[in-house]
Amino acid sequence: MMFYRLLSIVGRQRASPGWQNWSSARNSTSAAEARSMALPTQAQVVICGGGITGTSVAYHLSKMGWKDIVLLEQGRLAAGSTRFCAGILSTARHLTIEQKMADYSNKLYHQLEQETGIQTGYTRTGSIFLAQTQDRLISLKRINAGLNVIGIPSEIISPKKVAELHHLLNVHDLVGAMHVPEDAVVSSADVALALASAASQNAIVDADGRIYIRNWQGGILSGGFEKNPKPIFTEGKNQLEIQNLQEDWDHFEPLLSSLLRRMPELETLEIMKLVNCPETFTPDMRCIMGESPAVQGYFVLAGMNSAGLSFGGGAGKYLAEWMVHGYPSENVWELDLKRFGALQSSRTFLRHRVMEVMPLMYDLKVPRWDFQTGRQLRTSPLYDRLDAQGARWMEKHGFERPKYFVPPDKDLLALEQSKTFYKPDWFDIVESEVKCCKEAVCVIDMSSFTKFEITSTGDQALEVLQYLFSNDLDVPVGHIVHTGMLNEGGGYENDCSIARLNKRSFFMISPTDQQVHCWAWLKKHMPKDSNLLLEDVTWKYTALNLIGPRAVDVLSELSYAPMTPDHFPSLFCKEMSVGYANGIRVMSMTHTGEPGFMLYIPIEYALHVYNEVMSVGQKYGIRNAGYYALRSLRIEKFFAFWGQDINNLTTPLECGRESRVKLEKGMDFIGRDALLQQKQNGVYKRLTMFILDDHDSDLDLWPWWGEPIYRNGQYVGKTTSSAYSYSLERHVCLGFVHNFSEDTGEEQVVTADFINRGEYEIDIAGYRFQAKAKLYPVASLFTQKRRKDDMELSDLHGK
Amino acid sequence: GQAGGEGSRSGSCTGLRGKSAERWRRCRPLLVGKNRLVSCRARRMCVCPGPRRIGIPVRSSSLPLFSDAMPAPTQLFFPLIRNCELSRIYGTACYCHHKHLCCSSSYIPQSRLRYTPHPAYATFCRPKENWWQYTQGRRYASTPQKFYLTPPQVNSILKANEYSFKVPEFDGKNVSSILGFDSNQLPANAPIEDRRSAATCLQTRGMLLGVFDGHAGCACSQAVSERLFYYIAVSLLPHETLLEIENAVESGRALLPILQWHKHPNDYFSKEASKLYFNSLRTYWQELIDLNTGESTDIDVKEALINAFKRLDNDISLEAQVGDPNSFLNYLVLRVAFSGATACVAHVDGVDLHVANTGDSRAMLGVQEEDGSWSAVTLSNDHNAQNERELERLKLEHPKSEAKSVVKQDRLLGLLMPFRAFGDVKFKWSIDLQKRVIESGPDQLNDNEYTKFIPPNYHTPPYLTAEPEVTYHRLRPQDKFLVLATDGLWETMHRQDVVRIVGEYLTGMHHQQPIAVGGYKVTLGQMHGLLTERRTKMSSVFEDQNAATHLIRHAVGNNEFGTVDHERLSKMLSLPEELARMYRDDITIIVVQFNSHVVGAYQNQE
Repeated sequence: MMFYRLLSIVGRQRASPGWQNWSSARNSTSAAEARSMALPTQAQVVICGGGITGTSVAYHLSKMGWKDIVLLEQGRLAAGSTRFCAGILSTARHLTIEQKMADYSNKLYHQLEQETGIQTGYTRTGSIFLAQTQDRLISLKRINAGLNVIGIPSEIISPKKVAELHHLLNVHDLVGAMHVPEDAVVSSADVALALASAASQNAIVDADGRIYIRNWQGGILSGGFEKNPKPIFTEGKNQLEIQNLQEDWDHFEPLLSSLLRRMPELETLEIMKLVNCPETFTPDMRCIMGESPAVQGYFVLAGMNSAGLSFGGGAGKYLAEWMVHGYPSENVWELDLKRFGALQSSRTFLRHRVMEVMPLMYDLKVPRWDFQTGRQLRTSPLYDRLDAQGARWMEKHGFERPKYFVPPDKDLLALEQSKTFYKPDWFDIVESEVKCCKEAVCVIDMSSFTKFEITSTGDQALEVLQYLFSNDLDVPVGHIVHTGMLNEGGGYENDCSIARLNKRSFFMISPTDQQVHCWAWLKKHMPKDSNLLLEDVTWKYTALNLIGPRAVDVLSELSYAPMTPDHFPSLFCKEMSVGYANGIRVMSMTHTGEPGFMLYIPIEYALHVYNEVMSVGQKYGIRNAGYYALRSLRIEKFFAFWGQDINNLTTPLECGRESRVKLEKGMDFIGRDALLQQKQNGVYKRLTMFILDDHDSDLDLWPWWGEPIYRNGQYVGKTTSSAYSYSLERHVCLGFVHNFSEDTGEEQVVTADFINRGEYEIDIAGYRFQAKAKLYPVASLFTQKRRKDDMELSDLHGK
Repeated sequence: GQAGGEGSRSGSCTGLRGKSAERWRRCRPLLVGKNRLVSCRARRMCVCPGPRRIGIPVRSSSLPLFSDAMPAPTQLFFPLIRNCELSRIYGTACYCHHKHLCCSSSYIPQSRLRYTPHPAYATFCRPKENWWQYTQGRRYASTPQKFYLTPPQVNSILKANEYSFKVPEFDGKNVSSILGFDSNQLPANAPIEDRRSAATCLQTRGMLLGVFDGHAGCACSQAVSERLFYYIAVSLLPHETLLEIENAVESGRALLPILQWHKHPNDYFSKEASKLYFNSLRTYWQELIDLNTGESTDIDVKEALINAFKRLDNDISLEAQVGDPNSFLNYLVLRVAFSGATACVAHVDGVDLHVANTGDSRAMLGVQEEDGSWSAVTLSNDHNAQNERELERLKLEHPKSEAKSVVKQDRLLGLLMPFRAFGDVKFKWSIDLQKRVIESGPDQLNDNEYTKFIPPNYHTPPYLTAEPEVTYHRLRPQDKFLVLATDGLWETMHRQDVVRIVGEYLTGMHHQQPIAVGGYKVTLGQMHGLLTERRTKMSSVFEDQNAATHLIRHAVGNNEFGTVDHERLSKMLSLPEELARMYRDDITIIVVQFNSHVVGAYQNQE
């Protein structure tokens, strides 16, 4: 039946937007039809997969004027996971980009019926997200705040209101709920078909019960995401297996119990069918989108983590834009294919991680959450040493990084459970690490950073870097330059520090997750010249960050060389010996604004140098520190971080980094025109630092990121990161301020004056806190004077 | 109680003998209250304390007492056990037992033989009047206190010997047909007489797994568990490899490793004998090298297994005859030779599964039918009186005049239950040889009544062989696992139940019998009730991470409904070691799980 419908649709399709659907010969029912139409020998675009995402991409491409498209589908259109989709379109997402994609999808499906005349089953039913716990309610409040500012109506409602909206629900165990009235239900297969051609009840999501419920053809459709998923196809089996999945009632039992608890009256309903459908999941629960770093012109949009319907429309649009314009209209780094590398594609890794990811669908998302599976893949040679000293770890791009060090006398069990929206248990631990960074010296293992070396026989390296980077790299040997790798729009593709090792050789340090992206970008723009060598040396060096006023003492004692600013100025790089080890690259920067040094140590010396540093450092009060301390230090000094605060849609001018751009360095560089224009026209958003004024860090919810910013009561943007500043004794948030026209909502120029002359509030899960906006860091944090009068006996204690 | 303890010592020396055993056999299902405790193997097992494998005729006159006393203690057993106070008596008994062992070393220490009644047992049956008064008094005068183990205690007992091995997976490229194995042991004897071994052959492909059931002590089963796999591995080695190893020995170079053992920490190797064992093994491969005719033929696994079994038994026998200048070793090799052990060994290489069996342990294949149900395929034959062909074989091997005496009361020469075994030279050597070795042997051996005793009607030795029966099976994708277990398991559980329980355990509950709604009118409420019930039933599965442990849990704790009854389990496990043997035998289990994908791929290749 499906097949006939499909045929009639395909016929009409060819008539209108002008792209074609081809069923491959694999499906026996369509084989005869398929063979009768020979595949074209070439096409501008070939799309593999005729589910909701594939058809959505095709739809948007044709809307943008690309007509020469072939869509291949091994079975029938919309026969894969799209067929089994529950059809709930929900905008309640944690990531802004996901909210936007879902919102766009919603609007698209709504108008699709009118546009194509095909029934999509679109019904704006609204949806209700239930909260059984206070933490869940906080999470919903955060989402609610995010939805409202991008124009999606939603509200937090009481259990009583829930009962009014849906009379079958048992609301006794609820603490609240979120109502999103414009969420919709659709028939996903029909949407796919419609895309190919061009009074009711709320849907319920009970995340604590791991289930969703919607009306369906006069009955009820309920499903969920179990805690114990069963991985399939990990051996690379044929997707046709989807059809053979058996109903598994025992597996469904916890979900059924949950459903009957939520809606006891359903007990008497008759069962129609239990559908067991597979879904694709990614290692970080975000979909995969973008161009392959290895094959130009090969685009991927997959791994929808069971949100294919919600994201399909929007994701298809962004990918189509990407293909047509070279970049999507929104920042999609969080979904970019290049955030993964080969290291995340091991079968065992995927198998283990997918088992962890799937249950997270409905698990509570709390700040600073770490995956448990697929860990300890990439480690520094010091891993065991640090672990033995109480390190607690987080992972980035497969690399283990210390978060903080638990002192021997702390209760470990309690700390591991510190998953909360409020003040975390490690607060005191990080405080002492920060204090040690300010008063003595700390060591942080920062080996995860991506490290490239670019060398050439002549001036090629300098030339290509000058073209790719906005700052002037023609500096004396030994100097370090902070600079951005910009795109045509002037946005940051990467933010790095580059040291000039010698006239023809540069050492480039980028964020950890830039390993694939930056490599791809450099390879794409570098001339094919055998005399120009790019090498990934990430694995060759262990990086130790010595932060603190006494770092200079430790290092000079270890190297028998004076390290004072006179001999070793700031942002300087020198190869020297530390302990017995030679050839250590010492750089006078710490990524935090604190005094100190980064040591890039050939890995075989890592343990030796670390041991020497720790033993010499003892008398200066040295201790280990982790990334949480680093984060607190950098954010309080307004150090923005690529991937978190800034991205490929952020220009240096928008984050106060004019000084890192040399528009007149004597040659063109990528993004220069855009920056010139922006300099003339002014910026439309500005990274700003906010210091929360009336926030009680003991009692109030902590900011995280993604909190709406209000200026004089008007929404102006969202925060991108936040940390507690132990020096200011305040929370500090970084975030972008826009200037939306009050009448049209259009974006207007943001001036320093605009920023400075506003009263700001930050919305944390519905509570607004007053905040002071700053365009420049607090100067007092940079003074390095030690006040002799304030010294006390405790300063003589070991830290 | 105290007086009884004293009595037991003298009693144990003169011995409670004989026909009592026959009587024991009659009292089969022992019932205590509603709990059906033990279903003794009708004719296979004697429910007497002490050994079940070897019986020795009577000389003493304590028969009536023994047989009369018998039903009472068994029936009253549980009220006794429940009573905490009575543990004091057991304490005494145990104490006596140990003292006994220390004072007189006239026994092979590990063995408990039928003709030496158990001290603990004697404690109860000797002072007949006291016994009755006491127990009756307890029974009616006071409510027995509960003496149950908590579930964690039960688990710690069950899991003490569990071991799991997973064949390492190389990023999805695992080509072994074995996924891994689970094994476990539950002792009834103290110390346990069962042994188990598992090893990967390093110079040839394949994995070896085996269970060994010792009798008259654990010396023989221990030796076989250490040595047999080396003999098999050597038998499988190609000529060049043997040469290479021999040359390495000659020139003092490092040897090629042959086996990768997968051992529980409790599975030990005897350090003292390892040199002796090595020399015997070396002699074997030297002979293999010499025998090589130069034509390189494929080594036949079946032949290799048979040769290895026979050769090892031969070496055990020879070592005992030759003796050793070191007195400890000398005593050891004699203990090994005079005790016995059955062996059931599986060799798995790709889809080729060979099972070599000697004795009454068993190899059972778990096959999953297309409808998801489980069926058991037996891959070994028990060598005992229940096997017609074995009876036939024995009769053919000995003169007609012995037709009636060679198997009596379902035992070899009226004594030994398994008809094939390692060691047990009493059933293999000539009378002259036995006497000579015993006389020249150490005093401990000379003083031992069991070793000195010559089986009746012993005219044409050998009566016993270690030659295995080898069966071959080509693995199919539906063959999911193999259970190797000593008869301690098979006598308490039917093979079909064994396979079903393991199958359901390994596949998780969803495979047991999936529920399908198709066409029926079922409400959500009804379905929910059904599912909850199923889950409760299956919850015991999740207590175990080891299939063998799970099986033991069922074997020991199953009630008449086939589900694990904690109360029963707790009782069975809290039996003092002196009495445990009355209710169960040592249980040793290895569950080997096959990789159906790999097996299927092999199949498709051909």
